[in-house]
Parts: sequence; structure tokens; C-alpha cells
Amino acid sequence: MRQSFRFIGRSTPRMDGVAKVTGREIYASDIYLPDMLYARVLKSPYPHARVKHIDVSGAERLGAVVVTYRDVPDVVYCPRLVSTPEATYKDWRVLTGKPLYVGDPIAAVAAESEELAQRALEAIEVEFEVLEPSFDPLESMRPGKPLLHERIRYMGEEVEVENNIACTMEIEQGDVERGFEEADVVLEREYRTNRRYHCQLEPKTAVVRPEPGGGVTIWTTTQSIHNTRLLIHEIFGIPVGKINVVKTALGGAFGSSIQTNIVVPIAVALALKARKPVRLAYTREEDLHEHCAYQMIFRLKLGARRDGRLTAGSLEAILDIGAHQIQAYPLLGCLVGWWVSLYKLPNLRYVGKAVYTNKVPSCAMRGYGNPQITWAVESLMDELAEELGLDPLEFKLLNHVGLGDLFWGQGPTVKSIIKSSGVEELVRRGARLIGWDKRPKPGAQRGRYRRGIGFGRGFHTSSAGAPVPGTVVDYTGAMLKVNEDGTLDYVTAMMDCGGGTLTAHAKIIAEEIGVPLECVNIVRADTQTTLYDVCTHASRGVYAGGAAALQVAREVKRKLLELAARVLDAYPHALKIRPDEERGQGVIYVEGVEGREITIGELASMARHKNWGTIAAVASVRQGSCPPHFTAYFVEVEVDTETGKVRPIRVVAGADVGRVINPKLAEGQIHGGFAMGWSMALLEDTPYDPRSGDLLNKGFITDYKLPTARDLPPLEDFQVFFVETEEPTGPFGAKGLGEGALNPVAGAIANAIYNAIGVRFYELPITPDKILKALKGGERR
Amino acid sequence: MSMWINRIDTHILPINFQYHAPKTLEEALKLLAEYGDEAKILSGGTDLLVKMKQRLIEPRHIISLRNLTELRGIREVEGGIHIGAATKLREIERSQIIAERLPLLHEAVKAIGSIQIRNMGTIGGNLCNASPAADSAVALMALGAELHAQSIEGERIIPIENFFKGPGATALKPVELLTAIRIPPPPENYGWAFRKIGRTSLDIATVNAAVLLTLRGGRIDLCRIALGAVAPTPVRAVRAEEHLRGREPTPELIQEASELVVEDISPITDVRGTAEYRVEASKALVRDALNLSIERAGGGGR
Ligand SMILES: Cc1cc2nc3c(=O)[nH]c(=O)nc-3n(C[C@H](O)[C@H](O)[C@H](O)COP(=O)(O)OP(=O)(O)OC[C@H]3O[C@@H](n4cnc5c(N)ncnc54)[C@H](O)[C@@H]3O)c2cc1C
Repeated sequence: MRQSFRFIGRSTPRMDGVAKVTGREIYASDIYLPDMLYARVLKSPYPHARVKHIDVSGAERLGAVVVTYRDVPDVVYCPRLVSTPEATYKDWRVLTGKPLYVGDPIAAVAAESEELAQRALEAIEVEFEVLEPSFDPLESMRPGKPLLHERIRYMGEEVEVENNIACTMEIEQGDVERGFEEADVVLEREYRTNRRYHCQLEPKTAVVRPEPGGGVTIWTTTQSIHNTRLLIHEIFGIPVGKINVVKTALGGAFGSSIQTNIVVPIAVALALKARKPVRLAYTREEDLHEHCAYQMIFRLKLGARRDGRLTAGSLEAILDIGAHQIQAYPLLGCLVGWWVSLYKLPNLRYVGKAVYTNKVPSCAMRGYGNPQITWAVESLMDELAEELGLDPLEFKLLNHVGLGDLFWGQGPTVKSIIKSSGVEELVRRGARLIGWDKRPKPGAQRGRYRRGIGFGRGFHTSSAGAPVPGTVVDYTGAMLKVNEDGTLDYVTAMMDCGGGTLTAHAKIIAEEIGVPLECVNIVRADTQTTLYDVCTHASRGVYAGGAAALQVAREVKRKLLELAARVLDAYPHALKIRPDEERGQGVIYVEGVEGREITIGELASMARHKNWGTIAAVASVRQGSCPPHFTAYFVEVEVDTETGKVRPIRVVAGADVGRVINPKLAEGQIHGGFAMGWSMALLEDTPYDPRSGDLLNKGFITDYKLPTARDLPPLEDFQVFFVETEEPTGPFGAKGLGEGALNPVAGAIANAIYNAIGVRFYELPITPDKILKALKGGERR
Repeated sequence: MSMWINRIDTHILPINFQYHAPKTLEEALKLLAEYGDEAKILSGGTDLLVKMKQRLIEPRHIISLRNLTELRGIREVEGGIHIGAATKLREIERSQIIAERLPLLHEAVKAIGSIQIRNMGTIGGNLCNASPAADSAVALMALGAELHAQSIEGERIIPIENFFKGPGATALKPVELLTAIRIPPPPENYGWAFRKIGRTSLDIATVNAAVLLTLRGGRIDLCRIALGAVAPTPVRAVRAEEHLRGREPTPELIQEASELVVEDISPITDVRGTAEYRVEASKALVRDALNLSIERAGGGGR
């Protein structure tokens, strides 16, 4: 039976909304401290080199504080601390004497103004020995190619790197050869994804203040304040208690601040040396040289019987990870997980290789490999369905991993059974809304403008929770205390990346206790005053973070009722709490007995006067599963066969996110996910100039295009619907959404383009240039 | 290789220069005469400051046009329409005169950047920056505009055909200032079209094109076709124009003319598109622009 809720399921404005739209929100780059110095980083102009000589005297003469690769702790680390040591390879140093990509930090300066710092930077002289670079993973793996890293660290030991292969993973289940023999149709294709940049609004920034007693206070762009703290401890050996990372609002990240960004340890090194606060704010151009998404090459093979049952699959994946490992090994695991969790493969083989190249280091980006592999699988499933003469919808529904099946939420060590699924309804309703039956036959149109409808489905995990520990850390802490006026302070280390995560927590708390939403005060906390939270990533904010919020709310409610029972002379279980909007707080009352009530504020004040103590709760919560949230996209596009331009005509997007906590914001995630997927399918890439070894656009955002509102479908042609399920393990039945909102989009668009012009593309982005070439080729044939 | 990557800091203007804000045109021309090569004119700054931040240019002197009201404004004069070189693009876009008399220019200007950019950027800046992709340039070429340049020596008039000398290079001498653009009155019943392809709707053109033509007795009479981003400067598609002149605009003719466009362009491959793509896109844009122009000239089009 459906419960009725006061806040859950109703659209409420995000709690940080006013501060954000009025420009009063404080981001890391808004922090200015007395006596603060401005820092700049000296970056390698070569993609692969060794510093032969560095002379910083010119910079020092200008009054700047300088650190080089020789002044930083001799510690090799991994900037991402989400995985356990068994799944973590280390190959980073704060600054390097052997730069591995254009932009690799070699030294840094700090001075009284940015102008002076820049002048000091330009006064540093460096002599390089230039080494041979490689920009392509296939080339990089060739024996005899110069190694980027000769040795890296794993579990406290040094390991040798062979052929620039950073790490590998192989998985085999069943008998693949037999599986392909049993198939009536086998298709094998090679796919190549693009190398995207996150383009989060806020470039990476760190402000570091050295404290008396050897500690540091840090304000930075991060998705995890606690992991930032632990990393600084690991590198600099400062006692954990003396490192305080303060939460500031985050101007988006999309995964690019799961790891601690390089600005943080550099600013710490400078601040410790200068004994003054240091601010290191990257420019957009530097940010483009700091991170990007993983570019992947897939060789994907699927076999199916005439009846539509998949019999086997094999996937060879080569990941171009750039110059360092951030989470390459865990990603190899996640990739196979996303793959096997889309469609049931009775027999399968997976070989994943992550390869170093002399390019900007890759990291997670919304979906963590899932958008890439889902694009390939959804394309190949479409192709396979056509070969088999089946409707792709039926073919996919028949084989999909759903209710009761095992789901790989975060690689081979994080799995749980699916307990809620709206997949079938998503597909059926979406098909009806778009008019799937009326879609054209692929390649049948002749005119200049050709329209097509494509379908793509997918999912993402909600958290990396699981019944057993595995190799991924995933738990959240929360504290809740009742103030004397009936308001509540909610303290969590969890970051809100801008998606409204903490507003959702506040709603969960308000709903559970029965107070007006405004009563929940989200405290701007720091690492010293919060319990550990792993990170706001893996679409876990509402599902895992919200579970901790729910637990403390329950506990606080229990205590409130216990105390109120004394005061009201009633039994705790006979008491109820209602949010009283007029009084602006919750009121505890005895159901059915008039006048027997007390506000939470009165009760909390009484508790103070009578010395009963603070009504509060603390919890550290681990979720025991990783439920997938599901999405389905139906996209209609129009291809101009003379200019190769693709235009979106209509979108129908459905999502099963369990219980919807905040419909407007959830819809926003879908719109954003579509925009990002559209961009991935058609626009984005960061190619390199082989002559300079730098990004072809040199980091300039003017040549990294994202769609604007005018390039996307008008709102009236963009229909979002939710199929609500109740996830038994989620707070109020909720699951995640952030990543599933993106994952199937590129696949749906690629299928729509095929439907319009009868051509398939195996390389992203599908640019107008490629479309024209393909159409011309087709006409010749 | 240079340490160029370490020389850019887009938070600031990382170079030293002296800033001048002359109060009169005469004063500005004197400053130009004095500093010439070492000086750069600052109009809206939407190109200049970007280039300074990118360390592509390092002028020692910046001469701002901000106080020179005589370089602003749009008015009808004998011999056409006068636009001050420092007139904001947004003002041109919103001008009644331009919308009614020169809708081709109106559309080209509207295609430049975003409202924020058009609030800052000026038409003189768009031309003097001499980007092969400048949107107003193709429109003004099709309209046969004349550019008024001034130095302390006096004034000269440069037909827009002769103005662009290469990417970033114009016919202006270092001591000269562009003061105005003069557009002759367009012929009666003319047809026109502006077309632009970018990677997104907020982008520098991968290719842009402008057409202006008239019909006489069902045949194409006057015809100007200009293309941008497909050669070192904006160019006229002369071969195509010749092919069209005096002929009846049949679909076959339009097709032939659009194919001839390749004779006058020499596109390169860059981040915005490949040379091959630019060739194909040029043909498509010119075909579209011709069809629309013929329709607007009362020729029915296709
Ligand atoms: C985000 C963005 C988007 C853009 N999009 C477009 C676009 O879509 N299409 C397009 O065409 N352009 C585009 N531009 C480029 C630019 O905005 C335009 O070219 C604009 O018209 C330049 O005018 P300005 O007044 O800002 O020029 P400024 O930057 O002030 O000057 C440009 C150059 O011209 C010189 N100069 C200026 N005025 C004079 C004068 N009167 N006499 C002599 N020399 C002079 C300057 O010294 C400088 O070298 C874009 C720019 C940005 C930043």
C-alpha cells in the first residue's frame, strides 16, 4: 500500500538555491584569508621528458616562495582513496622531475599577488631532456616503447610495469566457445569512445592555511573531505587530527574530485614552506590539463539464438588512462560489471587492460565507464536484433538483468540481488509515448532531412554497498541534534555536488520526524567535527547518505517521544509528531486527546532547564546492497544529409529511481543527463596535437564545445516520466539517479541516427564530418 | 619548444602595458601616430583581451575607444547607411534601420556569440580582428561595404574586398583607425540570405556564407556570394557568381553554382572542422542561401 508523505515525492526548492542564485554561496575559490599568498604551478611543456636542470633563483629574487619536485615528500601515492589497498596502485608524486604529459606539475610558486606569482613562474628556468611520447594505447603497449613508469607501488611493494600496461583484469564464466557455437547469429564490432573533459563549472582550487602546531586547514573542491584529509596525512605525515578539511559548496565535479586534486598537496607544500596561507586556483586551461574521462577501445562480440536468447559474449577493453592511475584497476572491474549487468550472458569472457599514455590523467566521469560500454552494447544489441529480425525492445527485455538477478554494483567484489525493477514498464510506456511502432525503416528515407527514433536503456548502481566488505569503501556518518527552538542541526561530511543531495537528506529527516523542512539546518561542517563519509559518487548520495540521515532521524524521534511521554503523561508509542507550519516547528501530541501536546522547542528547552541533556543521535551506516536504478531513453533525431548536422526532435525519458524524493530535481538530473549524453554522442573530444604533444585546443574552452539550451530539444518536446518502485533497502524506498540519467543516452542517439540514415558509427563523437563521409561512401556502394 | 603553457594565466592580463583613454578622435590618432606598431586599439575587447591573455600579442600601449562617442551610432546618410566602427553589435542587432534596410547584416550580427558578447563586441572590432570566420564580414562583403580609415594624415576609403589581408591582418596601417563602415543602399527587390554552421549554436563559424542578388526578367542579375572560414580571409565566390549571372535560376543551375564554390576557397583542417567537411558544407550553405535569396527576391525559389 502506498503511504502518503508530506515532503517525500513533492517538489521542494533546493535548500542552497537562494544562496547560489544570489551569488552568496561560498565556494573554495571564494576563500580569501589575511596574508594569503597566490600560487601558480610550473607545468611541463613536453609530453614526456626529464628535468635536467632547474633554476628557481629568478623567482626567489622576486620574493616568491618556490617548491620543486626536489622539495616535496618522497612519497608515491594514489590520489583516490575509495578502494582498499588490494585494489590500489600508486604512481603519483606531488611534483615531478619526469613529466609525463603536457601540463604535468614540476614546481610551484607563491607570491603576494597573482601577477607577481605569474612573473616569478616565468622567471624559473628549466632544461629538459626530451623523451619519446606515445599518445595511443595500442602504440604505447608495443614492446620497446619507452616506459612512462618503470616501477609503481602496490600494497607497499614495488612492481615492475611491462609495456606500459598499468593493470589488467580477466574474467571468464561458462564456456564462451561453446556459447558462440550455440548461437545462430554472432556479431563482433570494434568501438572507440571519445576522451571527454568534465567541464564542471568550478575549476579545481585549494586554499591552505598552516596552523600553529604544525597542522593545516584546507578549503578545496572535493567530493570527499575525509579522503582529502587522509591523503594529506599519507603524503605529509601530519597527524590526522591536525588536518582539517572544511566543507565549501562544490561547483560541480562529475567525478573529477573523487580523487584529491593535485592543487591540494601542492598548496599544502607551499603553505608549509611559506608559513602563510596559500591559494592555488586553477584557470580553466589548467583544469583542462588536470583531468578527463577514460577513453576506451572495445572489441565486443555477442551471440544469440533465433529465439532471441543471448548465448555468449566476449569483451576486450583497452583503456587509455593517460599518465597516471587514479582508479584504473577498480574501473576494469566496474566495466565488466556494467557489461554483465545489462544483459544475461550465460557464457562470457572479459579481458581488460589499462594503458599509460602521455596524456592528461583520466578519472571517473559521471557513469564511470558505464556510458561508454552501454553505448557499445546498446548499439550492438540493436544490430543483433535487426539480424535476428526481432524488435530491439523485445530482444532487450527478453535478455535484461532484472528483478531477482545478481547485480554487479561496483565490480566483481560488490554485488547484490536486485529487489526492485521498473524496467519492463519503462520500456513499454516509453515506446507508447514516442510512437515506437511508427518509426521508419532504417535507411529507407531519401530526402535531405531524415528522421529516426532510437532506443537505449541502462542503469547505474546506487552506492557501492554490498552484503560483504569487498574492495570498495562505502559508508556514511551522520549526526543530528535538536536545538532549543525546535530546529535541528544536521551534520554530515557528505558533499552536495550540486544535485540537491543534502536537500534530499533534509527531506528524509523532516519526513521521518515530522517537522517543517525549514527546521532542518544543514551544518557547514569539516573533517574534525564529522564522522567519516567515503565520497559523494556512485549515485550514493540519497541511497547511502540518505540512509544515515534516516537512521539518526529515527533515533532522535525515539528520544523525543520518550521525553515527551514524561511531560505529557502518555505512552511513547501513543505519541505522534506533526509539522506545524504556523509555529515553524514540530508538535508532539497524544492522538485523540485534545490539548495534550508540546512543541519540540518547548521540549528541548525543558530538557535544557531540567538538565536532561541534548537530544541527539550519531550513526555510521553501511548499506548492505547496491540496487540499480534504471533508465530508458527514446530519442528522435533529424539528420541533415547535406551538412551532416544532427538535431534533436523529441525525447522521452523514463526512470525507475525507487521512490522519488524531489521530482523537480530528479527531472533536472534527466535533462542534464541527456544534455551530457548528447554532447558525448555528437560533440566532445580532447584530441592531441602529435607535434606539440599538447591538447589540440591547448586547454581553451572556446574549442571544447558543449550544447547550449538552443541546441537541445525545447522543454515541451522533452517528456520525463518516473516508474516508482519501492526499493526495500533504500530510505523511504529511494535509489540513486545521477549516473543512470546519462548512461544510455549516447546509445539511444546512435541508434536513432542509424534509424534515420541507415549508417552505424563505431567511433565517438559522431561529427557532421563523419556523417557526410559515411553517407558519401554509402552512395558510392 | 617554448614554455608557452606557463605564460598563460587567464585570471589576469599577465603582461605590462600602458593604458590610454583619449577623449577625442584627434587625440586617439595622435597616440596611434606616436606608438603605431607598439599600440593596439581596444574597442569591445572580446578579441583583444583573449589574445592578450593567450600571450599571442603583447602590446606595450592600449588605446581605448571608450570615450569616442563620434565612433558610435547608426544613421542613414547620403550614399547609404553609416555605422560607427565602435558601435556595439547589440546596438546594430536592435537597430530599426538595420533590421529594415539591411536585414542581411542584422542576421549576421545576431549570429555572433551570445548576448553578453554582443553587448561588449563592436563591428569595427569584428572586422579589424580579421578572423576569416568573422560573421559580419561576409554580410558586409555581399553588401559591398566601404570602410573608412583615418590617421593624422587624413582619411581613406577601403572597399571591403581589399580590406582583409590574411588571418589577423588588414589593409590598415599601424597608425590608422577604422572609423566607420558605409553600406551603399541595396538595390530594389533584392534577395538575401545569411547562413552559418558551427559546432553548436554558440560558436565561431566552421563555415558561414552570405548572398545578395537581384532578378531581372526571371534571370539572375546582380549576384554576390561571400564565404567565411574557408580561406585565409573572407572570400567572394566569383566563379559561382559569374556562372549565375544572366541565367534563369533553375535547381540545376543552383547546383552547378554551388559546386563551383570550391574554385574560390582553400579551407584548412582545424579544431572546428576538416578541410573536406568545409568544402561540403560550403556547397550546402551556398545552395541554401541561393535558394532562399531567390525566393526573397520574388523568384519563387524551390
Ligand atoms: C565567447 C566568444 C564568442 C564569439 N563568437 C563570435 C562569433 O560567433 N562570430 C564572430 O564573428 N566573432 C565572435 N567572437 C569574436 C568577437 O566577439 C568579435 O569579433 C567582436 O566583434 C570583436 O569586437 P571587439 O569590439 O570586442 O574587438 P576588440 O577585441 O576590441 O578588437 C579586436 C581587434 O580589432 C582591433 N580594433 C578594434 N577596433 C578597431 C578600430 N576601430 N580600428 C582599428 N583597429 C581596431 C583591435 O586592436 C584588435 O586587434 C566571439 C568572441 C568570444 C569571446
